[in-house]
Amino acid sequence: MIDEPPAGSLDHLRPQRDEPPPPSPETGIVSRAFEGIGGGAIRIAQEVGGIVVLSGQVLRALVPPRIDRRELVKNLYKMGNRSVPIVVLTAFFAGGLMTLQAGPFVIKFGAAALAGWAAGYAVLREMGPILIALMFSGRVGANNTAELATMTVTEQLDGLRALAIDPVQFLVVPRVIAMITMLFALTIIGDFVALAGAAIVARVMLGIEWSTMYHSFADNLRPYDFFHGVYKSLAFGGAIAMSSCYFGITVRGGAVGVGRAVNAAVVAAAVSIMLLDFFLTYTTG
Amino acid sequence: MSLFRQRIERIGTALLDAAGAAIELWLVYVSTIAGILRGLSRRRGGRGRPRGELVRQLFHIGNKSLIFIIVTLGFIGMVMAYQACLQISRVTGDFSQIGPQTLRLIVSDFGPTITGMMLATRVGAGIAAEIGSMKVTEQVDALRMSGVLPIDYLVVPRFIASIIMTLMLTTIGSLVMFAAGGLTANYSWGVNPNLFFDLSQVRPRHLVLFVIKAATFGAAIPVVAGFCGLRARGSSEGVGWATTAAVIGSSFAVIVLDFLISAAALFVTGGDL
Amino acid sequence: MTTAIRLEDVHKSYDHRDVLTGVSLDVPRGGKLGLIGPAASGKSVILKLICGLEQPDRGTIEVLGQNIVGKREAPLGDLRQRIGMLFQNYALFDFLDVKGNVAFPLEQRGGMSPDEIAKRVETRLRAVGLAGSEHKLTSELSGGMKKRVGIARATVADAEIVIYDEPSAGLDPVTTQKIYDLLAADHARTHATVLAVSSDVVALAQFVDEIAFLYRGQIVYRGPAATIVDAPDPIVRQFVRGELEGPLAEVRA
Repeated sequence: MIDEPPAGSLDHLRPQRDEPPPPSPETGIVSRAFEGIGGGAIRIAQEVGGIVVLSGQVLRALVPPRIDRRELVKNLYKMGNRSVPIVVLTAFFAGGLMTLQAGPFVIKFGAAALAGWAAGYAVLREMGPILIALMFSGRVGANNTAELATMTVTEQLDGLRALAIDPVQFLVVPRVIAMITMLFALTIIGDFVALAGAAIVARVMLGIEWSTMYHSFADNLRPYDFFHGVYKSLAFGGAIAMSSCYFGITVRGGAVGVGRAVNAAVVAAAVSIMLLDFFLTYTTG
Repeated sequence: MSLFRQRIERIGTALLDAAGAAIELWLVYVSTIAGILRGLSRRRGGRGRPRGELVRQLFHIGNKSLIFIIVTLGFIGMVMAYQACLQISRVTGDFSQIGPQTLRLIVSDFGPTITGMMLATRVGAGIAAEIGSMKVTEQVDALRMSGVLPIDYLVVPRFIASIIMTLMLTTIGSLVMFAAGGLTANYSWGVNPNLFFDLSQVRPRHLVLFVIKAATFGAAIPVVAGFCGLRARGSSEGVGWATTAAVIGSSFAVIVLDFLISAAALFVTGGDL
Repeated sequence: MTTAIRLEDVHKSYDHRDVLTGVSLDVPRGGKLGLIGPAASGKSVILKLICGLEQPDRGTIEVLGQNIVGKREAPLGDLRQRIGMLFQNYALFDFLDVKGNVAFPLEQRGGMSPDEIAKRVETRLRAVGLAGSEHKLTSELSGGMKKRVGIARATVADAEIVIYDEPSAGLDPVTTQKIYDLLAADHARTHATVLAVSSDVVALAQFVDEIAFLYRGQIVYRGPAATIVDAPDPIVRQFVRGELEGPLAEVRA
């Protein structure tokens, strides 16, 4: 039937936006402020709703798993291998930064054994996963949004649908899986690099011996601290992936729209990371 | 050519590219400062910055990021307080120092750093997207055809606005972070607010560090983002890539600058921080 | 000086791809030169080089008696204010309305009061048939309207050199004719030097005095516009007549 929207139609994801009427000139500042807040809230709700719907579509495509293997491998490589350098550098500096924060205590009170504990704890539980996720959001999430947005703007998604291929299944699902997997792996790698960075900075700038640091780590950090950070990365990966794909495929307008989509994706990912971190920390301690 | 040599070549080229980009970035920064000085001396008559652009940028960068900063820093403030209390409860059980030390850390590091990272994503992406799409639609060339220097017209207003707004947003964000932390400590661990909201550990040097960091991050983000935007090539993909590069570059710049400033501070004060 | 624009043995390559391999060209003052050639042959690159928006790898470029090569951005800015350019994709400022766009070169040049500028802008907009559209935003304009705003902006300052990059691309035949009539009227009024790139050879030939053909990075032919269809060079003839058979077969698309 020609009238039915083709399978995998994305129209329901695009916010059916009736632009709110412009404020009439007599409207006072307070009313306009409320309109602004209200409009913003509606927009956010629309976007969150859209992301949830997309997530549903992704989950449905996973059961039973019908994933394009080539797309999956291509994305795993693109998102993983090419992100390693920047993530490693970020993790290194993050670890070093935490050591510097512990620095005053070490220098003033000679609490060298504390350095490893403080830096390690902060890195493994919070700073590591968050900073790595933010970097990943920038490197991979933004890039992914840009790609999907460009494909949408150049009507390649419509082309796929004309070939009876569901873009969500073909494009989005492999990318989501790849992003979650890769952020997980990168967080693990990054955590170790961060600890190494913390140790190097401790040695070079605070004169703390390697063995002291190592013992400080080993004595005070528990495996659960490591896992706590790492499994958070799964949630972060999901948030980044969904936000990135959503804003990519619902883009409107040409080159300007692409830029705006990347902007929105990155901001949404950052907010989600913070929110998820909060909930996960509270619920799992 | 052997695989090994290919790898070396690739690394070498990448390093050269990075060095070239770093030099260009430095030139953008210098040109921006020069542009500001030019604007101040008003030698060039009407040429250059559009009227009201600075105010528009202040609004664009500042007001529109406010909620974002409050939300994100609020949440992370709660998380950090929770984690810190958790550790203290495991080790000493003495919560008297949590508040003052947290404030010290927020002022001297975490406030500016986290605000900086958040703004690097939001403001960095925004600036690169705007300037990038202008570059790609040849509007930047059209500006040059009227004798306007793109750096003066596009980057300078954003540079000034970003420094001002980053300082303000960092202040607000840090306060929110501290307040949220205090609420969490009270709610989850029963820490007395009077005990927590104690400013005694914050000294002038911490405030100096705060201002230096916030201003530096505020300066770095538009320079990096403007640089990426002005280098955009092609059409939509070019804009997408420019925005991505800006987010990565600004975030990384914030982290590295933070590290360098913190290290310098440690040296200068001999650890008395 | 009698030559407004002079290029000599200009070379330019991008990412190891040679686009211009020795271009020599000159345009007399007050003359009109058309530039044609296969797609991606480097026509727009030549325009950018003339304006100093890019620098050549080798060769000499003189505009209005001044050497362009190696010139810094600031002095180039002064020179560019004597050149008006219509970009292929209009390059209208989307943060300004139509009036702001057309007034921009005048405002940047300085020396005119806001009233004078407003009057000049109004005159120009009326000439291009867009009177009353001053406050429209670029997003509200059709392709033809944007093109006309671009022309208005390029000619508002009565520049000594005007460059048109594809003035009629994507427009219907009637609008094309109107546009070229407009360009001809402007030239009759100001006697500016004109350099026009176009893929509509027939319409272009009615407007310019001479046509140059850019092929494989070099100017391979230059002759009067009126007789371009019967040019002695077989490559030019094939291109102009739109024939599929001939020496032009291997065009790098």
